[in-house]
Amino acid sequence: MNPISQIKYVPLEASPVKSFFVSMLTRDIRLEDAILDLLDNSVDGAIRNSNREIDKPYANKHAEIDFCGNSFTISDNCGGIPWSLHNYAFRLGKASDSPQDVPGTVGTYGIGMKRAMFKMGGHCLISTRSGSDEYSIEISPEWLANEKDWKLPVQPVKRSRDEDGTTIFVTDLYPGIAKRFDEDSKAFTSELIKLVSTHYAFIIDKGFEVSINGIHVKPRPTKLIFDTGTDIKNSVKPYIYKTKTSDGVEVFLAVGFTRPIPSQNEILNGQEANRYSSMDAGWTVLCNDRAVLYADRSELTGWGEANVPRYHTQFIAISGIVEFRSDDPSKLPTTTTKRGVDASSPLFLQVKNKMREGMRLFTDYTNKWKGREDESKEQILKGVPLSFAQVKIQSESIRMNPTLRTFTRGEQFVPNLPLPKILEPAKRRISFIRESKDISNLAEYFGNSDMEPYEVGGQCFDLLLKEARR
Amino acid sequence: MKHPAYHLRPNKAVDRIAMVEAIRRLERLVDLKDYTYYGLGGPYLEEYRLLYEYYPEMKYVSLEKDFETYKRQQFHKPCKILDLKNLDVGSFLTEWQPNDKSVIFWLDYPDLEYPNFAEFITLLGMIPEKSMVKITLRCEPTDYFNKADEFRNKFQSVMPEGSEDPPATISEFAYFLQRMLQISAEQALPASVTPCVFQPVASFYYADGVGIFTLTGLVWPRTELPNLKKIFKNWRLQNLDWSYPKKIDVPILSTKERLRLECRLPCKSKTPGKTLRIALGYLIDEDIASTESKLEQYAHYHRQFPYFMRAVP
Repeated sequence: MNPISQIKYVPLEASPVKSFFVSMLTRDIRLEDAILDLLDNSVDGAIRNSNREIDKPYANKHAEIDFCGNSFTISDNCGGIPWSLHNYAFRLGKASDSPQDVPGTVGTYGIGMKRAMFKMGGHCLISTRSGSDEYSIEISPEWLANEKDWKLPVQPVKRSRDEDGTTIFVTDLYPGIAKRFDEDSKAFTSELIKLVSTHYAFIIDKGFEVSINGIHVKPRPTKLIFDTGTDIKNSVKPYIYKTKTSDGVEVFLAVGFTRPIPSQNEILNGQEANRYSSMDAGWTVLCNDRAVLYADRSELTGWGEANVPRYHTQFIAISGIVEFRSDDPSKLPTTTTKRGVDASSPLFLQVKNKMREGMRLFTDYTNKWKGREDESKEQILKGVPLSFAQVKIQSESIRMNPTLRTFTRGEQFVPNLPLPKILEPAKRRISFIRESKDISNLAEYFGNSDMEPYEVGGQCFDLLLKEARR
Repeated sequence: MKHPAYHLRPNKAVDRIAMVEAIRRLERLVDLKDYTYYGLGGPYLEEYRLLYEYYPEMKYVSLEKDFETYKRQQFHKPCKILDLKNLDVGSFLTEWQPNDKSVIFWLDYPDLEYPNFAEFITLLGMIPEKSMVKITLRCEPTDYFNKADEFRNKFQSVMPEGSEDPPATISEFAYFLQRMLQISAEQALPASVTPCVFQPVASFYYADGVGIFTLTGLVWPRTELPNLKKIFKNWRLQNLDWSYPKKIDVPILSTKERLRLECRLPCKSKTPGKTLRIALGYLIDEDIASTESKLEQYAHYHRQFPYFMRAVP
């Protein structure tokens, strides 16, 4: 008998394999980013429960992150998860019939919270209170191992917390995670604090509070020099561009100086000894207040493209911030992890033209003032460092001009940066290189061991000139 | 190149003897004849002279970037087995191919710069287990008065929070540097990747004119840490848990004064400074409190305190 004729064709099992799903989800995300995903949920909760029109919309909203070798906890007072959303909040992925979230949040895929918990450990407890709704959900190792059961047990809870909010508690930590929370906790805490202080600087500036293992995180916002004086010409201000796309994405871009341009000596020292462990120079990209990219100095943000030079230490003073804001987070040019820019996004590519246009003004300025940094320093220090929010306020009081050849009509302010006076023909520049120990010896001879090399050279010249004129 | 009188710095001398004591404890767990000592000995190669007296079986390598100082080292070479190299630490680490033999490495930096931390991280990632690393850094909080931004720009990647100002007192500044080194050590030897950890054994701060912080530790298998801690736990100078570094501030005493005090040491009194002040019968510093503080330091470090005396050349 032919065996083939015995096969009975039945419908195939094509349901997802839970363990595969869980391990694949967590593979491509760093632990730090997984934790920031949880923090994003807290911030989204704060946005849902705040008046975004006021100066400090997130005041009194906070999230506490605590971890050790046995457990991880994040607890917030950001409104909790209403029971009406349970079908959407706890499913793996966002169904097409999910209700629209409130404007300004960043959650798009409905995966961040689950991915973060699965990344860390095998036992998770989520307890939440939202008004009269108060319940907890447990994801146990048994549930994770059971391929058939996709239902999560829910327990009603009574008066477990004083405010509306959510607590996520993860135990049964995976060994690699437990080690980072325990034996490597100093380095990990330090790294996480720095990520939060830069990526959430704008949110913290608006009143949101974050603590990590009891340490209150302070924001590190980028501040651009803005000369608010009356001299419109020859003053150091940022380049500013703003627009609103046809599908409702608001874009605000500012690029300028954060500090005086570096002296040649500083550039040389920086190159020789790699003296700086990190730099704030470069572009920061915000999507609905979250920094999805921080201090980028690569081609991704236009460095080394279309007449903009590659990043170099001499451009250490240049920083830019570009903000994308949309009621619909899917319109924002960010990656699924919300920790990067979608480089192929048409919106981002078009805005990048403006980023390069603005950046070129400041790289040109830096090149033109090369060798005369002291004079330039005076110009730059006439301005005051303003936060991004303050630059936005200032932009209301300066004359913005319409952009003519841009994809979306917008407005821009092109600063009239001071140009160096052309050196008088009677004067010539002298520059030369000598052994640093000889320069130090001469500086000591002149009675000031802190003298800059150019000052030592100048003193030598003046001294010998005096001799020659005798 | 000008150098301070390294060989006449009493607090540094105590620190050097403390390192020898740490090596003696290490010797209870390993065979030092397989070890090579690497250091930045300066023109007089003082620690090589000292170590060679105790451990003639070890191999010795000195790194010196300045050519004139290197030539001066050749003049001061205390033993034939010392290999003098005219190289800075960064260049040495780039070309170094360590084998499986453990090392003792003293990164004795005169300054405080980010590359010091970067080299510490690189070194920890390269050396075999059961190696000892000592790192010394300039510890002068006044360098950064009103220059907090410069400090953050330089060191942010190894700072605990990245946004804090550097502390203003030498003791807090020293502790801050130690926390930065702890972060660097965890970055170099992550628990999830390597079976070894950087286990501190001692840390001090002192000032012979300029403030100095120094930390000594061992790259040790995590599973064997209890054995290591057992050896060091009774050492009076130990710091096994990253706690505050100990202060070294020994007084300048004449030989006659030291002989008067030594017969009373070790002192079991809870106030050894007071006991020794009464034994001397006069003040050696501005007032009673500072005299007793200095004499308490002497009581604490008298075994490590060297004699400086005139000798016929």
